[in-house]
Formats: sequence, C-alpha cells, structure tokens
Amino acid sequence: MIKENAEVVVVGGGVIGVSLAYGMVKKGAKVILIDKVDNRLTASRGNFGLVWFQGKGKDMPRYVEWCIEAIERWPEFAENLETETGFDLNYEKTGGLEIFLGEEEHQDRVNFIEEMSQASRSGRYDCEMISRKELQGMLPKIKLGKEVSGASFCSHDGCVNPLNLLKAMNTSFQEKGGSYRPGQSVQKIECSSNDFKIETGTHSFNAKKLVIACGLMTTKLAGMVGMKVPVIPERGQILVTERTSRVFNYPTAEIRQNYDGSFMLGSSHEAVGYNIETSYEVLQNIAKRAIRILPSLKNLQLIRSWAALRVLTPDQKPVYLESDQYPGAHAITSHSGVSLASIHSSILVEWILEERIPPGFTAFHPKRFNVQEAI
Amino acid sequence: MFKKQYESHETVSIIFEGKNLDVEIGQTVASAILVGGNMVFRSSVVSGQPRGPYCMMGVCFECLLEIDGIPNQRACMIPVREAMKIKRQKKTKSE
Amino acid sequence: MAAAITARAHGLSVLVLDEQPSAGGQIFRNIESLEATRNSEFSKLGQEYEFGSSLVRRFKKCGADYLTDRSVWQIDNNLQIHHVSASASKSNSVNSHCQAKRLLIAVGAMERPMPLPGWTIPGVMPCTAVDVLYKSSGLIPDGEVVLAGSGPLLLLIGCRLIDVGVHVSAFLDTSMNGALLKALPLLPNALRSHKYLTRGLSFLWKIRKAGIPFYSGIQNIEALGTSKLEKVRIGKSGKFFDVTADLLLLHNGVIPNVQITRNLGCEHRWYDVQRYWEPIVDDWGNTSVEHVSIAGDCGRVAGAAISEVSGHLAALETVYQLGVISKVVRDNLSQPHRIELARHKHVRPFLDKLFQPSKTWLVPENDKTLACRCEEVKVSEIRETVRMGIKDPDSLKSMTRCGMGYCQARMCGLTVSEIIAEEKKVSPEEIGYFKVRSPIRPITLGQLAEID
Repeated sequence: MIKENAEVVVVGGGVIGVSLAYGMVKKGAKVILIDKVDNRLTASRGNFGLVWFQGKGKDMPRYVEWCIEAIERWPEFAENLETETGFDLNYEKTGGLEIFLGEEEHQDRVNFIEEMSQASRSGRYDCEMISRKELQGMLPKIKLGKEVSGASFCSHDGCVNPLNLLKAMNTSFQEKGGSYRPGQSVQKIECSSNDFKIETGTHSFNAKKLVIACGLMTTKLAGMVGMKVPVIPERGQILVTERTSRVFNYPTAEIRQNYDGSFMLGSSHEAVGYNIETSYEVLQNIAKRAIRILPSLKNLQLIRSWAALRVLTPDQKPVYLESDQYPGAHAITSHSGVSLASIHSSILVEWILEERIPPGFTAFHPKRFNVQEAI
Repeated sequence: MFKKQYESHETVSIIFEGKNLDVEIGQTVASAILVGGNMVFRSSVVSGQPRGPYCMMGVCFECLLEIDGIPNQRACMIPVREAMKIKRQKKTKSE
Repeated sequence: MAAAITARAHGLSVLVLDEQPSAGGQIFRNIESLEATRNSEFSKLGQEYEFGSSLVRRFKKCGADYLTDRSVWQIDNNLQIHHVSASASKSNSVNSHCQAKRLLIAVGAMERPMPLPGWTIPGVMPCTAVDVLYKSSGLIPDGEVVLAGSGPLLLLIGCRLIDVGVHVSAFLDTSMNGALLKALPLLPNALRSHKYLTRGLSFLWKIRKAGIPFYSGIQNIEALGTSKLEKVRIGKSGKFFDVTADLLLLHNGVIPNVQITRNLGCEHRWYDVQRYWEPIVDDWGNTSVEHVSIAGDCGRVAGAAISEVSGHLAALETVYQLGVISKVVRDNLSQPHRIELARHKHVRPFLDKLFQPSKTWLVPENDKTLACRCEEVKVSEIRETVRMGIKDPDSLKSMTRCGMGYCQARMCGLTVSEIIAEEKKVSPEEIGYFKVRSPIRPITLGQLAEID
C-alpha cells in the first residue's frame, strides 16, 4: 500500500470535487483528489454546460441568492482559469432564454417569475418576460416556429464548454501542487480523533479533513462517516447535430448552439435507475419540440446522442454537510455543479478550510428532508 | 487521380462548383467528381485542412459534399441525377 | 443473400435492407450492371464473380422483400427497426419502421484503418477504394500509384492494377518480420484448402514479375503533399527515401464492421491474432442477444465462400427458432453447408497468422499522426490524456472529442483501444471499446421527428 498524506482528501473528480480541490490549492492547502473515473456514472461529462440561474430555487430563497452570487462570480472565475491554464472555456455570458410554446407555458412562467421575485430577499431576482416579437428581434438569423408565444430572459445566464472547464480546473489544480489520483475507488474510511485514513485498493491516504463529492456514490461514502445524504439518479438524453453556421446566439435549457456550430438538444427527465441507454421515444420528443421552436432545425443531421445521469437530492437543491459524528468530514452534492463552480471554489472552500460558515447555511442541511417527510 | 476505363454509355449533366460535367448514369457523386481530376472535396470542420474521399463505401464520412443546397452528404452513397448542383464544403465560420 | 434464399425456401417472410443501390454487397458490387453492360471486364474478374452473379439471380427470384438505398439508424430492444434513405437526406425522405421477429446482421467487413502521418491528405485511400471505383464506375487510377501494407487483398488489388495497365511505382510490404516462420506450424493444415495458397502465391509472383519495386521491412511511411498527395516518404533500416505518388493505397487487414452488433449490446471478444473484436456467436451465428444472429464477415472475417455458407446456416437456425422445422431437420439440412465450410476454413488460421498486423502499423509511433480523422485528434493527445489517468475509451472520448465525429469511431475505435492498451501495458481486451449509440447512421431531425 502506498501511503500519502495531505491536509485534505477530496473524493470525486467531477466538476464539484475538482472545483473544491482547485479552490483549496489556491488557498495554499495540500490536497489529494481521488477520482474513480467512471464514465457511466459521471454527470460532469454528460451535461449541457449551462451557467444558469433563471428557473432555479423554487421554494428555497436561500438557494436563489446562492445561485445569483455564483453567477456574479463566474466571469472572474473563468478569466482566472483561462489565465492560469491557457485553456479556452468558451464561456459566453450572453444572457439565457427559456422559450415557450402556447399560452399556458407562457403564463406558467409569468406566475413563476412573480413568485420568485416576491420571495427573493435581496431583491436581486432578475428575469424578465419577453414577447414573441422581441424574441424574434433577438434572433435575426433564424425563424421561430408558429407556436412560440414568447420567452423569459435572464441577463446573468450563459454557457460554457463543460469539458474544458473540467480540464482547466484539474490542470490548474495539479499545476498549483495538487495531487490527482485517478482510477482509484475508496474501499474503506477509518476515522480517529484527529484524522481520516482513506483506503483504496492500492493507496492509503491520511488527512485531517475529508471532502466527499462523488456524485451518485456520495450516499455510500458519506454513510461511512456518519452522514445521511440521499441522492438519486435521473436520466437525461441529449442529441447533437452536425456543425452549421452560427445562427442561434443564446442558450436555452433545451437548445443551444455550441461554439463549433453544432446544436445540442435536450431536456428530458426520467427516473430509470442507473440506466444510461437512449430511447427512441425520448429522442423523438426532444427533436419534435426543438423543431416546433425552430423549424429550420429539421434539416440538420443528427450525428450522435447520449444519456447521462443527473445527481439529485430529494428537493433538487444542494446538500452541504459536515459530519457531527466525525467533524472534519464533509459531504457536498448538488445539481448545477457547473453554475456553482465559482462559488464552490471560493465560499465553500472557506467553509471547509477555515470553518467560515456562510449566512443561512442551515438551509442546505439534509435534515430538511426529514422535515418534509414529517409533513 | 482517376480516369474512366471505357466510354460512358448514358450520361447526365451535373454542375460541380459552377461548371458542367457530363457523367455516366449510375455512378456515385464521389466517383463522378473524382474522374474530373478533383481530389479535394471539402475542408475539414476542425482546422480547414483539405479532405477527399477515402473508403468509398460509406463508413468514413470523408467525401461530404453539399448537394442541391444540402450540406454534409456522403457523396459515395448518392447516385448522380440530371442537373444536380454540387459544391465543395468549406469550414463554417463560428461567429 | 444466401440467408434470404434459404429463409424464403422455408416460407419465412423476409425483408432485406441494403444500404447500397444494387445487389452484390462489397465483393460483388454492381455485379448485375457489370454483367449486362461491361461483359468483357466481368469475365476477367474470375470464377468467383460468376458464382456471385448466380447467387444474385437466385436472391432476386427468391421472393424476399428487397429494399435498396436503406440506412438502418436505430434498432429498438424489441427489434423494431428504423431506417431512412441512404442517399437522400431531405426531411421528406420518410423514416420507415419494421418489426422483426428475428434479425440477421450481415453488414460485412471494412478495412482496418491504417493511421500514418499524412493519411488524411486527398489521394491516400484504402486499397479496396479502387476496387469499388472500378466495379461501380469503371474508374482506374491515373498517375503514379504506391501500394503499402500487408495482406492478401493488397496483393489481389496489385494484380488487378497491373492487369489494367496502371503504373505501380512501389510496393511497400509492412508484414511483420518473421511472420512466415510464426505461421509455418499452421501451414500443413492450410494446405487442405490449397487453392487459396496457390492463388496468393500467384499474386505475389505476378507482382514481382511485373518489375514493381518491392520493399519489405518498412518501418515508416509518411504521405506528403499540400492540397493533395505528392510523394510518399519511406523509412527502412533507418534510411529514408521519397517516391513520387498520386495515389497511396493502404491495407492492413480486414476487420468486421461491429457498429450494429455493438449498438445492440451483443457481447464481443478480442481476436488477438488479427487484433479486432468480433461478436461472440455459436455455430449457428446466434449472438448473445436473443433473436439476433450474424452471418458473414461482420463476425470472424473469413471471405466470400464461408460468408455465403454462414448465411445459409444462420437462416436454417432462424427457420428452426421460429418453429417451422425441427432441430433434427435443421441439422440434416445443414450437413452439406458444414461440409462446404470445412473445405474452406483450413486456410484461415494460417493466413490470419501470416498476415498478423504488426504493432508499428496499429499504434503510430509518430505522435503527430491523427488517430481520429473526423475531429483531428492526434495520437499525442490521446497518450497525454491516458497519462492523466483516463483509461476507458468513453472517458477519453469526453476529454478529447475522439470518436464524436460523423463516422462515430469507425475509423478510430480500434486505434484508440490499441493506444490506451499500449500505454497501460495490457491487452486491448481489457481496455474495451467505445459505447456505440444511436443513430447508427446520421438522420435529419425532421426524419427523427417524423414531421411532414
């Protein structure tokens, strides 16, 4: 067994684990990052790459503020990474759209925005409805489908190349002295009074602090250190078309045109366990809806499809937890790891390293699920 | 570089890059273009390097041409038709 | 075709979906037209071609529903098959469906990609490309041709080129050094199908006799040219020299086209002698997926004669599985086919061993070589990603874009597995292959959505 020591061991090489590890080495901590590299389970390599805010945080105002803050930090976060590594993140903060078909979808959104604005404590909830005419004006190079009734627009939203983000953070992490240990899977965790011994098949890592951020495996590993963190998989399927000239310059949660000109289409939600197969019906539905929104997409060739598993807590909001039983062990899980990378690598890192608890942090404690169950 | 080994029987007239070509009926677009001495079909979508047909049997997707306004057609799988308009593909610009 | 004939003979309803515009597959490409309008050439193509012609005639008469120009792009778990036109991509080319009780996959083989520096320059092609052009369009190379690689097919193509007067300026033999010695133990058994051997030797003799400069023990090949191929740089025993060329024809063996069997989730095994994955099948062509069988070179590559036999056998199995004949009858009817199979199979182990692809040509040493043509991913990038800790092809795909292009890893899949295997010092069998997802061929969003 190879023995290694560090101040912090991070388990999980997805966008959350890597952003935490990256933030920590920037603060001068000695960090080891263990990454199983299981492509079947990783959400970080199968996502849409949105840096997104609108539509999030229903029933949890604290989360809305958290998202706003993350989005506001993103441009600087991206610039730092690009300067540090030379990687181009293809981050575009153009503002983001949600496009609606028919009056009902339109009205639902109006209601949602109203609710969210009222609930927002800081008053910074910022999302506006735009008419069909205004929307077409924003998209001079492509015609909207007949049923498009309008859209909601949030100027904070944007998109990024999620694979480059992962690569850049990992590269910078290692260049700043972080130790990356891929291809290893945690078998055992031993907790003593002042440190943790983490064993994989080949290595034994010792650290004062432990951070568990390994997506769908978080429940199992967090359980080893006295934490109950429920997560379930939710499948999403995506279509990717051939490259074509740039005509669609705003991302939506269902359609975005990548930097290289290919269109990515998605937004499906299925509870199918750990199944990452694509299905004809879902792919067809995605294509149908995309064509209703932008009819000229019908002539584009579909080159490939894929499916990946989202990591969802019961209310789809983050869980940030330190173990009561074994202080020093932390569990972090969240949807929107990309959008939150800026805040995970800064504020959450301060919480882990310096015990600086952000205000209203108890909102992210998983005991809220028990409360919900009781109700 | 390719040449026809025998005289064409029936021909059709197609337009490649604005020029008329008489090609034998029953040929694929790829072979019709090749026989005119044209080896370059497109510029690659990543770096713009010149590309031409490779496998001739539909598995490599190198022979992509714009045919009658529709891009990214596998020329080796498409038979020629009268008045077909064929263009080379350039790398699309991302704005 | 053989399978359709046999299945029809027992009264099954048969649908044959062919991506090509006319019957014949790869070997007998355009055979009907050749026989009808280019008869002098047809007769030169040999006895095998006459057999092919007769097979096509019997196939056309057997009553199978034969659709040409169809690309299968999705097969559901319940064997519903979705297909579109192979040649028209407008969204008004309809997405058709058909429900099968049993599926036979006979999509054949393809050339093993032979990555080398400059292999994407127009003018570099696999050797079978000229075969296709000749058979379907009567085109022959015009200019200087260099042949490079190893394998019986390269010799055959070489001979055809000599026959039509093409100038072959060099034959670069990349066969493994000492291959004959290694294959020798298999020779005695191979002599039982000696016709293959004498044919092969006659090809070799013809090429030598034509005075074509023949170089063996080649270590490096690089294709050079700005917008098209101009010359080939050859490295042998540490020395380099250039040969002018307009066409460089490559060959490094034939591999089964496993795109569909992979997509269906059939189990595959690694055939180490010839360095490819083949679907795992029983004696009747049944794969590990229920109701799905294969025939021909999309499994162990064995040539036309064996492919035809395997088609008949797979069809007999299907007829039995659908309850039309009993096991005993199936076994009896299969006897003549098994005897035919035995006649031809003896030479394969010897040939496979003799023409084992050597490592130099599986994993390009020159790091600047493109492993993935579609996305232009260099071998060096793949190696770097592996050294970063990525060892499964799908994770590598996410990190490098290798395998994301139009061809969906048909051209780079094996190379990627070989590179990762070499870096990790294990067999490609342990590394595995990319996950193959739908669409098996590109289709438009309009075809998928089935809008008018």
